[in-house]
Amino acid sequence: MDGGLLLWLTSFFLLIALLALVVFQLMCLADLEFDYINPYDSASRINSVVLPEFIVEGVLCFLFLISGHWAMFLFCVPYLYYNVKLHNQRQHLVDVTEIFNQLHREKKRRLIKLFYLVALLFLNIFWMIWSVLEDED
Amino acid sequence: MQRPPTNEKPGPPSVLGRPVSPFVAPPQPRTPFSSTGLVAGPPGGPVYGGPPPVRYNGPFAAPPPSSSPPIPNAGIAQLVPPVPGPQPIRFSGPSSPPPPQSAYPAQPPQRGPPPTGPPTLSPPMSLRPNQPQTPFVPMGPPPQSASPMPPRGIMPPPPVESSFPTPSATFQQPFPGYHSRPAGQVTSIAPPPPPPPMHAPPFHAQQGSYMPPPPIAAPLGFNSREQLQYPSAGPPVGSAGNLQGLVEDFQSLSVGSVPGSLDPGLDVNSLPRPLDVDEKPSSLTEMYPMNCPPRYFRLTTHAIPNSQSLLSRWHLPLGAVVHPLAEAPDGEEVPIVNFGSAGIIRCKRCRTYINPYVTFTDGGRKWRCIICSLLNDVPGDYFSLLDASGRRCDINDRPELLKGSVEFVAPTEYMVRPPMPPLYFFLIDVSINAVKSGMLEIVANAIKSCLDELPGFPRTQIGFITFDSTLHFYNMKSSLTQPQMMVVADLDDIFIPLPDDLLVNLSESRNVVDAFLDSLPSMFQDNVNLESAFGPALRAAYMVMSQLGGKLLIFQSTLPSLGIGRLKLRGDDIRVYGTEKEHLLRIPEDPFYKQMAADFTKYQIAVDIFAFSDKYSDMASLGTLAKYTGGQVYHYPAFQGHIHGEKLRYELVRDLTRETAWEAVMRIRCGKGVRFTSYHGHAMLRSTDLMALPAVDCDKGFAVQMALEETLLTTQTIYFQVALLYTSSSGERRIRILTSAAPVVADLGEMYRQADAGATVCLLSKLAVEKTLLQKLEDARHSVQLRIVKSLREYRNLHAVQHRLVGRLIYPESLKYLALYGLALCKSLPLRGGYADVQLDERCAAGYNMIILPIKGLVKLLYPSLIRVDESLAKVSNDGDSMKRLPLTAACLDPKGLYIYDDGFKFVLWLGNMLSPDMVVDLLGVDLSSFPDLSRVTIIGRDNEASRKLTRILRKLSESNPSFHQCCHIVRQGEQPRESILLLNNLIEDQNSGVSGYLDWVLHIHRQVQQNV
Repeated sequence: MDGGLLLWLTSFFLLIALLALVVFQLMCLADLEFDYINPYDSASRINSVVLPEFIVEGVLCFLFLISGHWAMFLFCVPYLYYNVKLHNQRQHLVDVTEIFNQLHREKKRRLIKLFYLVALLFLNIFWMIWSVLEDED
Repeated sequence: MQRPPTNEKPGPPSVLGRPVSPFVAPPQPRTPFSSTGLVAGPPGGPVYGGPPPVRYNGPFAAPPPSSSPPIPNAGIAQLVPPVPGPQPIRFSGPSSPPPPQSAYPAQPPQRGPPPTGPPTLSPPMSLRPNQPQTPFVPMGPPPQSASPMPPRGIMPPPPVESSFPTPSATFQQPFPGYHSRPAGQVTSIAPPPPPPPMHAPPFHAQQGSYMPPPPIAAPLGFNSREQLQYPSAGPPVGSAGNLQGLVEDFQSLSVGSVPGSLDPGLDVNSLPRPLDVDEKPSSLTEMYPMNCPPRYFRLTTHAIPNSQSLLSRWHLPLGAVVHPLAEAPDGEEVPIVNFGSAGIIRCKRCRTYINPYVTFTDGGRKWRCIICSLLNDVPGDYFSLLDASGRRCDINDRPELLKGSVEFVAPTEYMVRPPMPPLYFFLIDVSINAVKSGMLEIVANAIKSCLDELPGFPRTQIGFITFDSTLHFYNMKSSLTQPQMMVVADLDDIFIPLPDDLLVNLSESRNVVDAFLDSLPSMFQDNVNLESAFGPALRAAYMVMSQLGGKLLIFQSTLPSLGIGRLKLRGDDIRVYGTEKEHLLRIPEDPFYKQMAADFTKYQIAVDIFAFSDKYSDMASLGTLAKYTGGQVYHYPAFQGHIHGEKLRYELVRDLTRETAWEAVMRIRCGKGVRFTSYHGHAMLRSTDLMALPAVDCDKGFAVQMALEETLLTTQTIYFQVALLYTSSSGERRIRILTSAAPVVADLGEMYRQADAGATVCLLSKLAVEKTLLQKLEDARHSVQLRIVKSLREYRNLHAVQHRLVGRLIYPESLKYLALYGLALCKSLPLRGGYADVQLDERCAAGYNMIILPIKGLVKLLYPSLIRVDESLAKVSNDGDSMKRLPLTAACLDPKGLYIYDDGFKFVLWLGNMLSPDMVVDLLGVDLSSFPDLSRVTIIGRDNEASRKLTRILRKLSESNPSFHQCCHIVRQGEQPRESILLLNNLIEDQNSGVSGYLDWVLHIHRQVQQNV
């Protein structure tokens, strides 16, 4: 059952990476709000990590899919769908010219993502422990 | 937007009401009413006509031309030709029997039961003693009214004019030519004579009593019926105080909803209209004399709510309109203060600048900040003793302590680099379209003509790039005699062929620049290149300018087709309209443009776009460049040099020569508890409350919305301070400070009383235009309507307890035009209709314009003026031309008249079908009977009195709005489709482009207001 544990470990780190990316974006937005950085820097920093975030999330989904963890896959799908939708509407990047008007919306989006990821993380940890315990049995 | 079914189902009570009142009512001839009846009454009349034969006798027997407009006798009305074209002649014979109905195909036949029984007052009227007066006018024994026709000279204004009482007018003054008869009988007022005919006397003798009244469009005809039923429509309460003797602080419109009646009666003529130009919040200046003048800063309501809950009941946007560089009239210029060594005095904590509202304490050693209440030390150099009343002894020498608007000279701490010189860079399209349309030549000439007037001599810098499918750079080094042209054809990897000398000092290189501008049109006159490498050219201009910043003027006559930033044809897909994707047409397609705009702002470059294409050129994308850089969008659809040349020349020269503030930032500070939430205007936010304006000038206004931060405000007064830090053209760093104070109130009624309709509608329109960029047009219009309805409903709730308001639409005096402006906004170009109503490009360009328009220009655009001029042209005397504004409805257009429509952007000269041919020849030099192409006719410079007068009137009108040049379009009545496009669609009080007219709109709003009460 090493494979199972390895999978959960991988997804765990992927989730941690996702969390880090989202938190980074939130920090940029917060800094912007309190006038610590200018909108140009803030927007370019955020935009530089948006695509990586989407890709990591895609990889995570794919991982659950091929390993047959349907439940976790289904939990991840809404997030993925949302990302794909944003991307197709070309709204995934923040717009430096309108960033202040969108500040609240963007923050809210990322906060929801954050909570969603934390929930996923807990599930993931649960499954990881489960698989370890199963291993020992 | 649905058109409420106003005309259907006339209820019996209303029918009763109509004929009645004249008899019962005390005879008080009131001119406005009289004319009311005149205009609207007659057409409605026949509908109910119980036919006492007598009535026709009158007009026929004694037909003085002046009294001719049909005079319906007690409940019977005569028919009036709604479309008085040839009618007068048709009816001319006194002997001709009066077959009213037949003459009016437009009239709905027989609506409502005929009046039965003796007249009784209808319920709603009884509430209002003054009502019965209204219907008098049209009634009355016609023969008696055979008043001698007044001499031409003193003839009252045409009926139409008088017919719409200006809401605040005092209309006790009867016009000459009106007769009133004593009480007890039917009062008759000789209807104001029709506009004096210019024809031979026999003609109007013939017209007899059938002289057509002012033309009435069909829809209005319908409405007028209702108006007869309930001719009430309360006159402004404030002026007469005649509403049950109550002094009410609201105005009302009686909508006459008798219980059980579905037919609201409302007088279209009594609806409020901003025909009196001057409307300024005057009480404020008395309350806070040290506030900056309202032309710089106006709050949407000059009373800040003290709590969140109060604010939530204020459904209109709460905010302010800032016009920092508004042109000041002579003698009121903003004083300039130089603190010298003392430095600019500001609050240590919140950085507020010193201003008239600060208080000095501690013997003059400390001053208290108005925003954060911090006690600051007064610098030694600035110290002055206080007198007994606590005022500084030197206050009279300190403009910053006396006036709300003042300019400080900023020392070096306020510069991140040496003040930049004024810099103008031109990016000119030289493809075949630009050359063919004549744009290139006009632009070159216009620039050359104003080189001497460019601000900032001798530091001014200038440079040029032209482009078609390649880019052409020009070396203008002062040592050359001719500019050197360098062509860059590699569009993928743009480079600057020359590090310097593309941007040169104008005074040093003047000869080269002159030579360049002279040769520019001829250089490309045989160009057959269709392509436009706009994106690469933009990049190149950016690379040249990024050292200094400045102003980039782009002249673009095709859709960008090559290289980065090329755009596709879009907007011709009708299926997109009404779907979720509709708004995408109005935002830039390619992120390149937003990115470029952001970069431009970063390097202090302002972009002005001049677009000339006759085909789709994606103004939505191009305009973005101006939107975030403090620029402006000029759109000349289907530009042709000989028609629009003058407009382009004027606007380009104004753009180049008006006083401009460079590399500016603007911040608005406000007292604790209030916070600005959104900023609207052509600017980019650099931080939450700092607007970056690479260039700003007197034609740019901004709007801000605010919110309360705390649930309860404890202070009595909230202060606002606008600070605009900029570099003047002379190279001085300056700070313009505009300080204003507003009371905090706990009462919603006070908020309504202090509301500023102009500022409100300005903010509302900017919000609506921005909404069209995110949502469907329909949604944007709906939100405007919803706000108005909610706010009127709230106002109604406020007063519902105290007064009996059944059937009355009440509104605060301060916001009496709100409904009208709301309607106008929904019919304005950016929000109007759907796919077919406005070209996408025009819509976007109009949207960009509306976002920067200051209050005055916006109000003018929303409710343009319509002025009848044929009489003053015909008059011999030279005295003051009457510039009376008319309501914007086709009913005001008399076929014998000549009208000017002026919305601040264009003039339309409307020639009635029956306008005297002599005058037409005098003015235009052509004979209308030959059906000339009026789009090619000019009116300027004909050698006769009428033409000179007209020219003078037009000049006067255009001087009142110097921001734009107004092309004069001439259009003849019935000349479709030009008439519709230029004029009829813009008559916002009529039903057009699928949206209801003013009356229906008000009824609709009234109905919605009453719901859920």
